[in-house]
Amino acid sequence: MSTGFVSLRGVNKYFNEVHAVANLDLDVKAGEFFSMLGPSGSGKTTVLRLIAGFENASSGRVVIESQDVTDLAPFDRPVNTVFQDYALFPHMSIQDNVEYGLRTRKVPKAERAKQALEAIDSVKLSHLSQRLPHQLSGGQRQRIALARALVLRPKVLLLDEPLGALDKQLREEMQVELKRIQREAGITFIFVTHDQEEAMRMSDRIAVFNEGSIEQIGTPQEVYEKPQTKFVASFLGVSNIFDGAAAKEIFGSSTMVNIRPERIKLVPADTKLNTGESGVVGTIIEASYIGATTIYLIQTQSGQRVIATRLNEELPDQINRYETGDRVGAVWKSDHSAVIPT
Amino acid sequence: MKGKKLSILSLLAVSAMILSSCSSSDDASGVKIEVPDIPMHEEMGDFEGELNIVNWAGFVDPKWTDKFEADTGCKVKPRVAGTSDEMVTLMRTGQYDIVSASGDAALRLIVGGDVQPLNVDLIPNFGDEIATGMRNNIYDTVNGKPYGVPIGRGANLLQYNDDVTKGAPASWDVVWETNSPYKGKITAYDAPIYIADAAVYLMYHKPELGIKNPYALDKTQLDAAIALLKQQNTIVGEYWSDAVAQITSFVGGNTVVGTSWEILRKFAAKPNIKTTLPKEGSTGWYDSWLVSSKTKNVNCAYAWMDYTSTASVNGAIAVNFGMAPANIAYCSSSPTAQAHCDEFAAEDEEFFKKIWPWTTPIETCVDGRKDVKCTSFQEWTNAWLTVKG
Amino acid sequence: MSTTITKAGNRPLSAYLYKRAKLRLFSLLALPMFWIVGVYILSLFLLLVTAFWFVDPFTSKVIVGFTLDNFVSIFTVPAYISTSIRTLLIALAVTGLSVLFAVPLGIYMAKIAKPWVRNALAVAITLPLWAGYLVKIIAMRLVFTEEGFFNWALAPFGLSGPTFSIPIVILTLTYLWFPYMALPVFTAIRQIPPNLFDASSDMGAKGFTTIYRVVMPLIVPAIIAGSVFTFSLSLGDYLAAKFTGGSTQMIGSIIAANINLNPPVAAAFSMVPIAFVVIYLMVARRTGSLERM
Repeated sequence: MSTGFVSLRGVNKYFNEVHAVANLDLDVKAGEFFSMLGPSGSGKTTVLRLIAGFENASSGRVVIESQDVTDLAPFDRPVNTVFQDYALFPHMSIQDNVEYGLRTRKVPKAERAKQALEAIDSVKLSHLSQRLPHQLSGGQRQRIALARALVLRPKVLLLDEPLGALDKQLREEMQVELKRIQREAGITFIFVTHDQEEAMRMSDRIAVFNEGSIEQIGTPQEVYEKPQTKFVASFLGVSNIFDGAAAKEIFGSSTMVNIRPERIKLVPADTKLNTGESGVVGTIIEASYIGATTIYLIQTQSGQRVIATRLNEELPDQINRYETGDRVGAVWKSDHSAVIPT
Repeated sequence: MKGKKLSILSLLAVSAMILSSCSSSDDASGVKIEVPDIPMHEEMGDFEGELNIVNWAGFVDPKWTDKFEADTGCKVKPRVAGTSDEMVTLMRTGQYDIVSASGDAALRLIVGGDVQPLNVDLIPNFGDEIATGMRNNIYDTVNGKPYGVPIGRGANLLQYNDDVTKGAPASWDVVWETNSPYKGKITAYDAPIYIADAAVYLMYHKPELGIKNPYALDKTQLDAAIALLKQQNTIVGEYWSDAVAQITSFVGGNTVVGTSWEILRKFAAKPNIKTTLPKEGSTGWYDSWLVSSKTKNVNCAYAWMDYTSTASVNGAIAVNFGMAPANIAYCSSSPTAQAHCDEFAAEDEEFFKKIWPWTTPIETCVDGRKDVKCTSFQEWTNAWLTVKG
Repeated sequence: MSTTITKAGNRPLSAYLYKRAKLRLFSLLALPMFWIVGVYILSLFLLLVTAFWFVDPFTSKVIVGFTLDNFVSIFTVPAYISTSIRTLLIALAVTGLSVLFAVPLGIYMAKIAKPWVRNALAVAITLPLWAGYLVKIIAMRLVFTEEGFFNWALAPFGLSGPTFSIPIVILTLTYLWFPYMALPVFTAIRQIPPNLFDASSDMGAKGFTTIYRVVMPLIVPAIIAGSVFTFSLSLGDYLAAKFTGGSTQMIGSIIAANINLNPPVAAAFSMVPIAFVVIYLMVARRTGSLERM
C-alpha cells in the first residue's frame, strides 16, 4: 500500500455517541498545499487535530513521513499548527511567543533570539517584537502565529481556518502571502477552510468533507468540473443539477447531470438548438444585476429551475438584456455538462 | 485564665471555670494590702426585685433559683462568663450585682475597688459549716475584712494513663523534667496562672530559691519558674485550656500525663485514666460570691449569698458543677451527698492543705515579705507568653 | 407639518436624579462608604489607638495614655519575634500548599473533567465551607489523634502519623482555607482559551512546562486573590494552633491571651498581621500582578 507524506488509514473518531470521523483514508503528498474543505461539523477540523495529536483516534493509524505517530503526544510530532484565533500567549511579548517552541527545544538563548527575530522579520513585523499580542491587529497576530509555527521548521504545517477572522481584503493578501511562504519553504501545508473560493485559489488538491467522510479529493479543477457527488457539485460553486424526469426529458437518461450557470447562454425562446447543444425553455422569474454579472433564474414548464450567469461584458444599455417575464431558451454545449456518478 | 468553652457541652462549662484564690492560713493575717475604702452594707432593707449575676456555667440553675425568686421576689438574671478575665471585665462595667469569682479574679476586683466588703452578720447561713480550708483566705478576706462567701473548690491534680504509667507517679517530675519517660505526651495548662504550678514544684525541689508561696514570687523566683516552664515546653505535647480537647487527648492517647481536674477525669470515663496528688502538692481553685461596689440590688445580693450558703443549695451547685462544696453540712445530708463529698475530698482538710488556691499575684508579696516587690499578674502574663516562644 | 412635543411620563425622582450625577453617585455609595469608613476604618483606628495605652499593673485596669512600649516589645521580646516569624512562615506554607493543590485540580476540573465530575468536585470543594469553622478544626484534631485515622491507617506499615505540631497546623489551615484558593484558581483556568494548551504542547512543551510557562503566569491574579485569603486568614488564626498545634504558639494565640489581660498589647500585636498583609500586597503590586486582577 503506497502512502503519502501524511497518511491516515481507517481512522475513526467518536465524541461520546457522535461519529465525527468515519473510517477515513487520506494521503497528503510531500510539499503540497492540501486543503480540507467542508461545512462546519463535517469533521475537517477534527481530522486536523488528529494529525496534530490534540485528539486521539478511536481507531485507525496516523502516519507522518513513514513514522506511525498515532500514539505520540503533540509535542513529539513533527508538525506545527496555526490556530483559528491564533492562540498567542497573551502574557508574552511577540518575541517570547515566537521563541516559545525554541525554548522548549532547549535552543540556546542567543540562537533562539536570532531565529525568532528572523522569523518575525520574514512576516515584516520586526518593529512590533516587544509588543504584547493584544496590542496587535488581527492580521498582525495572524502573521505572528505563522512565524511562531514556521520558526520551528516543521515538516508539515497545519492551519485551522487561519484567515477566518480577517476582513476580505486582508484575507486575500494573506492568501497570496501564505502561498508564497509555502512555495519558498517547501513545507507541506494542510489547510482547513469552509471557504471554497479560498480553497480553490490556494490549493494543489482539495478534500471535500461531509458528515465525517471525504466526498472527493482532487485538484481544484477536478472537484469543480467533475464533481463525483451531488454534495460536491452543490458545495463548490453554483450548480444546476438535473436528475430523474428532468434529466430524462433533456438527456434521454435519468443519470444525474450538472451544468454550471456560467456555461449557460440565453437565447430567444424559439431559437433552434445547434448540433452538440442542449437546452430548455422557460420563463425568467428573476433577473439580478450584481455588477460583473447578471444572474437569471429561469423556470421551465415542468417546474425545474435553472440558474444562468451572464458576464456583463458591455454597458448595461448596450447589450440585449432579458427582463423578468421573458420567455427564453437556456442553452449549453453538451460536453459542458458533467455526469455525477452518485 | 481558662479557655473559652464550647457551650454545647456542660463539661465545657466546667473547663471555663477556674477559681483562684489565695491561700490563707497564717500568711493572710500578716499582709497589709492597699484597698480602696468602700463602705459595707449595714442592715437589710426591702428587696429591689432583681439580681444580675456573672457566673460560671452551672452555678445558676432554675432548680434552685425558682425557689429563691418565689421567696424574695428578686428576679435572677444570670450572665455566664468563660474566663476569669471576662468576669473581671464584665464586673467593671458596673452592670452586674454579684459574681462567682475565682481567687485570681477576686483579688483583682478587691484591689481595684470593684467589689465591696461584706457584713457577715447579714448572712446567717455563712457559719460554722464552711470548710475550714475555705475560711479567711486572702482572696476573700483582705486586711481582716471579708469580701467573699465561699461556694466550692477543686484541686489541679496529676492525671495519668495507668495503662502506660503502671501506677500513680509519685512526683510531678514526670511533667517537668526532660528525662521524663512520657516526653512528647505531656499536657500542661495553658494560662499564666500555671506559673504557680512550676513554683510549687520549685518550692519542694529547690528550697534555696526561698519560695514560700507560689503566688508571691519576686523577680528571681519568677525567672526560675519561667526557666522551668521553658524546659517543660521542650517535652510538652500539648497545652490545654479547653476541657474537651484535654479529655480527647487523654482518651485518644496523645497525652499520658498532665494537670487536670477531678471532674475532667470523670468525664473521660475510662478506668485507666486516673488522678493523683503527688508529693509536692499542687494548686487549686476556690470560688466565692463577691458583691459589686456599684450594685443597686444589694439586698437581693445578700439574700442570694445567704440562700446559696445553705447546705442543700450549696451542695446542689457543687454537684452540678463538679467540685467540693464549701458548706460541708451538705455531706451528711444523704448517702449520695456523702459519696460526692468523698469523691471530691470536700471534708479532707489534710488533702486541701497540700493545695495552694489560685490567687492573683500582686506587687504586695502575699507571703508577708516586705523587703522585696513581688511580680504582678501583668508580669506573669507577659512572662507566660515567652514560655511557648 | 407641525408636531406637539409632550413631556414623557411623570417620574419626578428619576428625572431629578438623572440631571444630578453627584447626587446619584452619593446615593450609590452611601451604604458602602458608611460601612468602610464608619465601621471598618473606624474600628481599625480605635484598635490602633488602644495600642498606645497601657495597663495598671496593680489592678490590671487599662489606662488611657501614650506609650510605645507595646510596639517596642513586639520587636524586642525574643519570644514575640519568633512567634511572628513562625506565624509568617506558617501562613506562607499554607498559601504555597493551597496553590500546589489548587492548580492541578483546577486544570483537571476546568479542562479535562466531564461536566458531572466538575460539578461534583466543585461541590466537594465548597462543601467544607458549609461546616462550622470550629467543627472542622475539631475534625482535624480527631483525625490526627494518637488513636485517630492516620495512625490507624499507617499502623499496618509499621509507621505512625505526625503528632500535633506545626505541620499539622499547616495542614489544618490549608484544609480550612483551600476553597478560597481553589475557586478563583479554577475560575481563572476556566477562562484560559483551550487552544493555548494545544498551542503549548504543539510547540513541544510537556505538561509541567505548560503549567509553569503558560498557566501560572495567566492565573497569577487569581492566585494573589486567593492568597489574600489563605495568607491573611492564616496569619490571624489561633484556634488551629490551639487544637492541632500541640505547643505551637501563633500571633493569634498572643492576641487571644492578651485580649482581656492586656488589651493594649493585644492591639499592638494585631497590627503585625496587618503589616504583613500590607507588605505582601505591596510586593504583589510591584510585580504588576494586581493590575490584571
